[in-house]
Amino acid sequence: MNRALLFKEYKKTKWFILGIILAGIALHTYTFLKLGRSFRFAGMEHLWDVIINRDQFMFRDLKYFPLAAGVCLGVAQFVPEVIQKRIKLTLHLPLSERKTIMLMVGYGQLLLLGFFLLHILCAVVFSSFHFPYEFILSFLQTVAPWYMAGLLAHSMIAMICIEPTWKVRVFNILVMIGTIKMCYITDFPGAYGIVSCLLAIVVLYVLPFTFYSVYRFKIGEQD
Amino acid sequence: MQPIVECKDLTHYYGNRCIYENLNFTIPKGRILGLLGKNGTGKTTTINILNGYLKPRSGECLMFGEKSGNLSPATKQKVGLLIEGHVQYAFMNISEIERFYSAFYPNWRKEAYYELMDLLKIAPKQKISRMSCGQRSQVALGLILAQDPELLILDDFSMGLDPGYRMLFVDYLSEYAKSRGKTVFVTSHIIQDMERLIDDCLIMDYGSIVLQKPVDELLTNFQRYRFKCDKPEVLKDFKEMKNPVTINGNTEVYSLCSGPELQALMKQQGLSIDGLKEERLSLEEAFIGLTGKY
Repeated sequence: MNRALLFKEYKKTKWFILGIILAGIALHTYTFLKLGRSFRFAGMEHLWDVIINRDQFMFRDLKYFPLAAGVCLGVAQFVPEVIQKRIKLTLHLPLSERKTIMLMVGYGQLLLLGFFLLHILCAVVFSSFHFPYEFILSFLQTVAPWYMAGLLAHSMIAMICIEPTWKVRVFNILVMIGTIKMCYITDFPGAYGIVSCLLAIVVLYVLPFTFYSVYRFKIGEQD
Repeated sequence: MQPIVECKDLTHYYGNRCIYENLNFTIPKGRILGLLGKNGTGKTTTINILNGYLKPRSGECLMFGEKSGNLSPATKQKVGLLIEGHVQYAFMNISEIERFYSAFYPNWRKEAYYELMDLLKIAPKQKISRMSCGQRSQVALGLILAQDPELLILDDFSMGLDPGYRMLFVDYLSEYAKSRGKTVFVTSHIIQDMERLIDDCLIMDYGSIVLQKPVDELLTNFQRYRFKCDKPEVLKDFKEMKNPVTINGNTEVYSLCSGPELQALMKQQGLSIDGLKEERLSLEEAFIGLTGKY
């Protein structure tokens, strides 16, 4: 049953997944080519000076990519499900509603998490050839909130889509904007530091909110 | 024996608008119950409550003895659901959707599904989203038949179907339900189709149930009478006569009384009638007779 449900999610999202992967590859290719060009034309010494003394961050182009990926996957999974009323069929499947929703949201979260880790790993491997350990740590602390924004957006879009009333939906959208804003307070290198770990707790904290939307959908709340 | 579906004292409002109060009905095992009503009388509301997608203001609905808002997976396995508009996972093709559902139902009857699909003359790889409404209805029905549920809940199955597909749907469903002793709860706005399918009818009007009876009993006893009457305006005060209409001195009423009973009743009230004609009704005419033309 679990595999069948995951297959359904895969069928629904496969083109979006492909799009996200291609966009991720294109973005990394562009970033690496741009940095490679800087290495060649400006020289490593100058680049190091810019990074260390002027606190410039070389991977700023990644900033909104995870967010866009999370939004796209969330929309692909949940908007048609609700608009075309298929959510009723899904909740009628002989599984507990909690498990069904957990599998649907979990599918998207794990997919994004896997892809994000791979994306970060590519950047880390590339950086490790040119930069010291301290730079890589600072890179991770800088980009971690952006990737967490992607995970947050995905689970909060599930919550927003399944919510049956517009009033609460708008409220949820505002909560989502506010929550995601926490991940974009600054892009100063390494500024988040240990706070990135606290953001990870927020990502886990918002996950069960979707169950509340399902509960409201089930009791037939209306505007 | 416990009924398959039991709705007790259901009351529901949308805001201040009363949909119905204290609605009670049961569906015994092996019966096909049709819920008939005009638009806005609460058919879909009832289906939503039954499926657990709406909490009534008061009262409760039980399916297989469990509260409909909180069905266990084992009970959901026994309920086949057709959503208004034959909604399905349209991004799958007919073989993918069959494989998908087969994982959830232990008594899956693949051959029942493909028997219906063979009638469609479509490629196995064709996506459901690219099918016509009629073809989609057959896919939805095929999936329910393959699921082999004990209870089928079908919301407005005839919506968007041409007469051929409607007849095919009714024939398959009727044959399946009757031969395998299934319980069916069905709504449709095309009452001609219901006449060929249902055993019992539940007729709703705004705010209440007008009647719940076996269809045979209704069609045997409920009749239309045409006559000329000297004071047609008083007929609406008789609770035995439904929806009296007089046009050019010719009066038409519907009633569960027999002709002699009706004559006796009017004579008792000092009314004289002339040329009484009794007419047998179809289910559609009986429905109009009970709920009025508008």
